[in-house]
Amino acid sequence: MRIAAGVDVGSTQTKAVLIGANGDGVEVLSRSLIDTGANVRKAAEKAFDECCQAAGVAQADVGFVVGTGYGRYNISFGHTQMTEISCHARGAHFLCPGTRTVIDMGGQDAKAIGVGPSGEVLDFVMNDKCAAGTGRFLANAAEVMGIGLDDIGPLSLRATRPVKIATVCTVFVESDILSYLSQGKKPEDIMGGVHLAIAKRTMSLARRVNIEPLVTMTGGVARNIGMVRALETVLGQKIIVTPDAQFMGAVGAALFSLEKLGESFESSVWREHAVSSGD
Amino acid sequence: MAEKPVSEYRGSIHQQQKDLMLDWYQRLDHAAETGDPPTVSMMISGNCVELLEGFGAIPQYPEVNALQLAIRHQSLEPILAAEEMGYAGDNCAYVKADIGCMLKGITPTGGRLPKPTLVLCNFVGCNTYVKWFEHVSAFTGAPLFVLDVPFLRNDTPSQADIDYVVRQLKEVVGQMEELIGRKFDYDRFRQSVAYSSEVEELWSQIKHLAKNSPSPFDAYFDAITLMGPLYVYRGKREGVEFFRAALNELQQKVKAGEGVYDQERFRVVVEGPPPYPYFRTFRDMFASWKAVAVASTYSTVGGLWEFGFRHDAKNPFESVAMHMLAQNVTNRNYLQRYDQIRRYVQEWNADGVIIHFVKSCRLFSAGQGDMRDYFTKQLGVPTLYIESDLEDPRYFAEAQTKNRIDAFFESLEHAKRTAAHAVSA
Repeated sequence: MRIAAGVDVGSTQTKAVLIGANGDGVEVLSRSLIDTGANVRKAAEKAFDECCQAAGVAQADVGFVVGTGYGRYNISFGHTQMTEISCHARGAHFLCPGTRTVIDMGGQDAKAIGVGPSGEVLDFVMNDKCAAGTGRFLANAAEVMGIGLDDIGPLSLRATRPVKIATVCTVFVESDILSYLSQGKKPEDIMGGVHLAIAKRTMSLARRVNIEPLVTMTGGVARNIGMVRALETVLGQKIIVTPDAQFMGAVGAALFSLEKLGESFESSVWREHAVSSGD
Repeated sequence: MAEKPVSEYRGSIHQQQKDLMLDWYQRLDHAAETGDPPTVSMMISGNCVELLEGFGAIPQYPEVNALQLAIRHQSLEPILAAEEMGYAGDNCAYVKADIGCMLKGITPTGGRLPKPTLVLCNFVGCNTYVKWFEHVSAFTGAPLFVLDVPFLRNDTPSQADIDYVVRQLKEVVGQMEELIGRKFDYDRFRQSVAYSSEVEELWSQIKHLAKNSPSPFDAYFDAITLMGPLYVYRGKREGVEFFRAALNELQQKVKAGEGVYDQERFRVVVEGPPPYPYFRTFRDMFASWKAVAVASTYSTVGGLWEFGFRHDAKNPFESVAMHMLAQNVTNRNYLQRYDQIRRYVQEWNADGVIIHFVKSCRLFSAGQGDMRDYFTKQLGVPTLYIESDLEDPRYFAEAQTKNRIDAFFESLEHAKRTAAHAVSA
């Protein structure tokens, strides 16, 4: 079995994925997820180490490592680097065959990627140098409300009269929320408004690439069911989310690693991971 | 996948350019000391530098000062000084850097800059310049003349537009005669227009050399190097000699099959000025992919000559007016700019377009989102859109810019690989 790895060092979290290929196809061997923190190099090493341990694989047996994400150039053990844009497209094409649009929402980035039939990037747009429309915006909103980050999505789904959040500024949203709290608005309506505001901003970004089905969501924010629903509402169609959405960059990087090892493979072998958010 | 930056083309023309520009700054320094030669503050876009030769005057370009300052990583201090004075955050950063320099007594080379004999606002395209030059006049105490050059509204300017500009150019001549105290030398002006015509022919031939693969020079980064002499020396014998030498050097490179890099991998067209405070960093982002710009719109700000226009010594005033009205990218309309870029992509055989949006320049940058849509959606040309600024270092985010550029070239690489597989299959 040939073993390859992808390590995605994001602004908030670092993800590593190990995949193996033999004559029967390609399978995921392990995943790891840790906070990136201040020492990017160590975060990458730790994520890779944990991933290898989880799979019971010696690091020396990993044939090729592709680094991706903002910290990709700090991965001391990586053989080469690719941008997370290419990796998310590649990962989504593999895990969710038929993907033509990727919406990736991470800690500091929001991206829309047009994906071609062979998983290639046709076009992409990203948020400006501003955290509006990213995970950081949601984290700030959660903090002001005193609610855990994992709870804001489900809470937002209970909104009956979502408030209007005029700003998409990560800093100024705090004063908007405080204002609504002082008016006695319900937390679920405030959170519903926050999610809709982000969804609208993200969609205005995404419409600059041609949004074609299937639309797959990737990145850490994909774990937030409220955000997925808000995006679906604004988009007017289903969005595909896989349990590995947060690992999509690392999966794509691992697939590029496998290519470097000379493996050719079809994307269908891993299809069982793909699930629709609408189910 | 991106590799480490490789050294790009450095020819003798780069050193000659440096010498010429240094000589120009020394002449400005001398003028600050003695008042000779007379100097005229002008803007680059569609400049009428030939007119100055009729008085033996030399130009001062506040934009060149500003960009020199930015390349030397010295632009933030004057920008902050201007902002302290009340200039807004989204004012043109060129303006703020220039005003800040006057407030702080800063010059890009450390030499002196003279009080201009005349501040000549040859306003083409950019209406911010009217205010800028009013301020330059107020700060220096030099008299101001605002040339009103109408926007190009059709394919070519009307005869009334040309007559209107010619009349104003003659008014400028009259005012300069009064200010300098000597008559305008018409023959010398006409000779200058003739030199310009020669320079434009040479420059045009240079630009067409980039159609070769590999291109012997980068028509964005190296073109910027060549643009200094183009604007300062265009109407002079030195300009003709410089561009003849440049053409010869680049033709030799073509004959030898030499490109900017040891192996040219991508050919792009660039729209918009570079982020001067990170000029080297920005260039390295292209160099790491061995991506060469085969054409750029920025190199046509001062004049658009690769499609055939030349100054005409038989009709010197009219041809200067025509140049200002129609033959520079800033005074032309957006659809003409689309067409210019489309021709570059097709005739110079480019893989894609890179648009650099300048945050503090709404006038030149507004509409570039639509431009991106036109190329990606209507023409199917891969187009990257990045944002920062030409002068203000605070707008540049290195990691984000690199990420976008890397992703763009990764996608082009993938497309080339897929196409190659399709052919071999």
